[in-house]
Amino acid sequence: MRVTGTEWVVGPDGRAVYLLGVEMAQRYRHAVGSSSPFYEGLERGVLRSTRCRECGASWFPPRRFCEAHLTETDWYDLPGTGTVTAATRVHSPPPFGGIDPPYILASIRLDGVTGGITHRVMGAETPEHGAAVVVKFIDEAPAHPLLAFAFTVEGVTP
Amino acid sequence: MTPSADNAVLVAGVGMTPFVGFRNDASVRDMVAEATRAAFIDAGLGSSSTIDMGVAAYESDHFNRQMSLGQVLSDTVGLTGKPVIRVEGGGATGALAIRTALMAIRSGEARSVLVFGGETNGRSVDRSTAIELLSMSADFEWETPVFGTFAAPYALMITEHMRRYGTTAEQFAEIAVKNRRMALDNPLAHRGMSITVEDVRSSAPLSDPYRLFDASLLSDGAAAVLLATGDWAERHSPTSSDRPPVAILGSGSATDRPRLSDRPEQMFPHFAAKREASTRAYREAGIDDPPGQIDLAEVYDSFSGAELQAYEDLGLCPVGDGGQAAAEGRFDQGGQVVVNPSGGLMGRGSAVGATGIAQAVEVVSQLRGEVTAARQVPGARIGITDTHAGVGSLSVVNVFGMVG
Ligand SMILES: [Zn+2]
Repeated sequence: MRVTGTEWVVGPDGRAVYLLGVEMAQRYRHAVGSSSPFYEGLERGVLRSTRCRECGASWFPPRRFCEAHLTETDWYDLPGTGTVTAATRVHSPPPFGGIDPPYILASIRLDGVTGGITHRVMGAETPEHGAAVVVKFIDEAPAHPLLAFAFTVEGVTP
Repeated sequence: MTPSADNAVLVAGVGMTPFVGFRNDASVRDMVAEATRAAFIDAGLGSSSTIDMGVAAYESDHFNRQMSLGQVLSDTVGLTGKPVIRVEGGGATGALAIRTALMAIRSGEARSVLVFGGETNGRSVDRSTAIELLSMSADFEWETPVFGTFAAPYALMITEHMRRYGTTAEQFAEIAVKNRRMALDNPLAHRGMSITVEDVRSSAPLSDPYRLFDASLLSDGAAAVLLATGDWAERHSPTSSDRPPVAILGSGSATDRPRLSDRPEQMFPHFAAKREASTRAYREAGIDDPPGQIDLAEVYDSFSGAELQAYEDLGLCPVGDGGQAAAEGRFDQGGQVVVNPSGGLMGRGSAVGATGIAQAVEVVSQLRGEVTAARQVPGARIGITDTHAGVGSLSVVNVFGMVG
């Protein structure tokens, strides 16, 4: 932490009030923990998730334990295809950077699993509800590992 | 069903600061002290000695630059020695704090509880820092890296609502116009404005279809309410006998999956937790015809379309009819239920930890007939507050009404 400066300014009632400029920079080593195999999948170009060893239920995002039984789960590869529920054109960059606005963000139901992901769709056109999309690995040195991939609308070359 | 004052949890006092863009003359503890002092005066209390406990409401250590803020605020308002609980529930923080105090009184643990909340969401935090901190309201591992703005998940929800029900951008722009106009009559509001649907639609794009004027404000502010048993109020709050008592008639809360894209597709454009929370709150309050029985509602208009969706999920209109209701002004001043007479988050503003409490301050003041004439809902007897965290991951609905 550091004090970047101090100043006297005029308050709403005309009296002088004092301000401290403060700067803090936080740094973390963020453990993704039980999601680590997902990132291993990204390194070989597949999306992965987890399935309950007892009841067979699966989810995206992956879970450490089955949500119904808190029992062990196993990792498996997803086909990487899905269907758009809704999409929007976003006009500001994400907090880690890595995408120049405007860009297309969509809620995607993933095939082979219950649930889905909100993620980027390549290209300038906003896809319609029901559009079929497929994952595409696009960046070997992304601003955030999750931006190593995006989706493309099937049959459309971005 | 109206509870008698004997077993009801009463609102003995309310107070709030103005909500503003930047209080350069006040820290968050100053603002909480101001709001609490206003609530004390309202309740006619001479000191805090008879209050059993405190509930501190604030969302973010990052925005307020203070960990363990609950004890700091508790100390500031003269409750040192008494127990205090810090409550956090995202955008629903203030309402959840009131609900926590209600549970404490119902359990018999306390007879009087001071609920105080504040946040410095305004310009003490520079814009890029605010954007960075707010981005952490999404799922940090799965959503934050791709969300350029918190407008994005709201935009996805309303896009699907538009497809299913024919809702239009002009319909939810009407809400952005209404709430800013309502705020012109609220002297404590952050920024009332007289604008048109065209102004909303031509403001800067955030995440299609949402534009700048579809979004709400980030404010500095604080609010406080004092809840008590009828017996305590009779003994310690001299002003309570001067006016018709207002009680909490019901309270409900529920959660939903925090991430939008792993919710059941059927519910994608809806706030499932809001439906459940309001159903529970109405059951407690004996409300079986929400639009017929509720006179006013302070609704969580983080985005204009979120208010439209809330009309439906709070049972104020049929599902799919929210757009038509907005276009007709069904929830404007003079309408069936007056929604956001304070100006809502778009006009009164939002200081997160204080927001749900400020909604309660508005509802209680309306029921007592104490607000400015222009925004007074005539003859109001029942009012609700509605807030949620994230895009509806946690929802709290509190119902207030006259007793006796
Ligand atoms: Zn299982």
